[in-house]
Amino acid sequence: MALLQVKDIKKTFGDNEVLKGVSIEVNKGDVVSVLGPSGSGKTTLLRCINFLEKADGGRFVFDGREYDLSDISKKDIAAIRKKTGFVFQNYNLFANKTVIQNVTLGLTSARKIPSKEAENIAIDVLTKVGMEEFRDYYPSQLSGGQQQRVAIARALATKPEILYFDEPTSALDPQLTAEVLEVMRKLASEGMTMIVVTHEMGFAKDVSSHVIFMADGNIVEEGPAKEFFTAPKQARTKEFLRLTEN
Amino acid sequence: MLNEKTLELLMSSFPKILEYGLKVTLPLAALAFILSTVIAVLVAMVQYADVPVIKEICRLYIWIIRGTPLLVQLMVAFYGLPLLGIHSNPFVMAVIVFSINEGAYSAETMRAAMEAVPAGQLEAGYCVGMNYMQIMWHIILPQAFRTAFPSLFNALISMVKDTSLASSITVVEMFTRTKQLAGQSYNYLPLYIEVALVYLIFCTVLTFIQKKGEKILGSYGQRK
Repeated sequence: MALLQVKDIKKTFGDNEVLKGVSIEVNKGDVVSVLGPSGSGKTTLLRCINFLEKADGGRFVFDGREYDLSDISKKDIAAIRKKTGFVFQNYNLFANKTVIQNVTLGLTSARKIPSKEAENIAIDVLTKVGMEEFRDYYPSQLSGGQQQRVAIARALATKPEILYFDEPTSALDPQLTAEVLEVMRKLASEGMTMIVVTHEMGFAKDVSSHVIFMADGNIVEEGPAKEFFTAPKQARTKEFLRLTEN
Repeated sequence: MLNEKTLELLMSSFPKILEYGLKVTLPLAALAFILSTVIAVLVAMVQYADVPVIKEICRLYIWIIRGTPLLVQLMVAFYGLPLLGIHSNPFVMAVIVFSINEGAYSAETMRAAMEAVPAGQLEAGYCVGMNYMQIMWHIILPQAFRTAFPSLFNALISMVKDTSLASSITVVEMFTRTKQLAGQSYNYLPLYIEVALVYLIFCTVLTFIQKKGEKILGSYGQRK
């Protein structure tokens, strides 16, 4: 059974229809890359399924329960968010908290985990992303790549069933991009379920199990990553792949 | 002008002026500052969270208080509250009026500071499972307070001097005490210069405390 299902999600900003009825399905252990040109609606899709934007319509199935995306209670939203993790394009680390506090805050305040235990969890996940030495630094003292690795650790600390990545490397130079992708590769190999909105074709090709290609608020083509890159069916997909090849 | 007699007057008056400064002026300013900050945070939060109806009441409060002179507010409270059956001593009344007055200004300072915290901080808080109040308490308010701190302290420094207006509702604070001493000696100017210096000393100390405070609040690793 699918861990997560989105059925016919719709979202309009003003008179701009950003999502025109998109449906996706993610199984446990899947790494789904969402590709597409700017303005295709991929980031909005991700934000809608973590309720950072309110969808205008659509159904959402998570962990065996079905919800109406346009009419979901705050309580349900809070419960779902406790089982998911989100990594932002611009990291959004808490500016007034150190690296370790960034990771523990969601544990101690939202989940009432004792601080000693939360710290142990934090050290664990920070070690995993190679940031344990920086535990007492503030975000402003770190490079973009380091901040993003801490943001990943923060998302991991809550043991989410699925991790959402919203263009996690778009604000980074190639070297910093590489260090973040390295961490994401590791997570993928450990079986973490992920939805990754990205422009990193290499990552999509090598790491993801499944690719969704979006344009103009619709899914143009989707399928297993290998198939998608070697035998695209739609003209629009072929064009996109040709343009992004170099 | 600065003969021996004047010098003697200044010397003997200084402790008396200072006494009322420490006993009345500073406590009045400090209490009003603390209360006004509490009011400011609450009013700013209501507006930040966009709470219907209460938000409109907050706007009305800010509009009226900022649109009328402090001296008039003191008078209205002094003569008006007893009519409503509220009798309290002038010092308490002054604390209340100063708090309400400063609260309206500081509320706008706090609101601006909260709005200056990037929206991503709130979103990140939600995404790690925190609720609105937890995010407020741990993320938004500390960052906003750090931004607002110099402006809030400005308000405190202003208030230390504005407390002299409390003399209008019979509070004997540092300035009123000086007026009494000047009246007794018929030697006005030297004593007014003296009290001016005491205000200056108070504010200098506060400026020093502000600097220390900014250090303690820290700047999260920036400009260390």
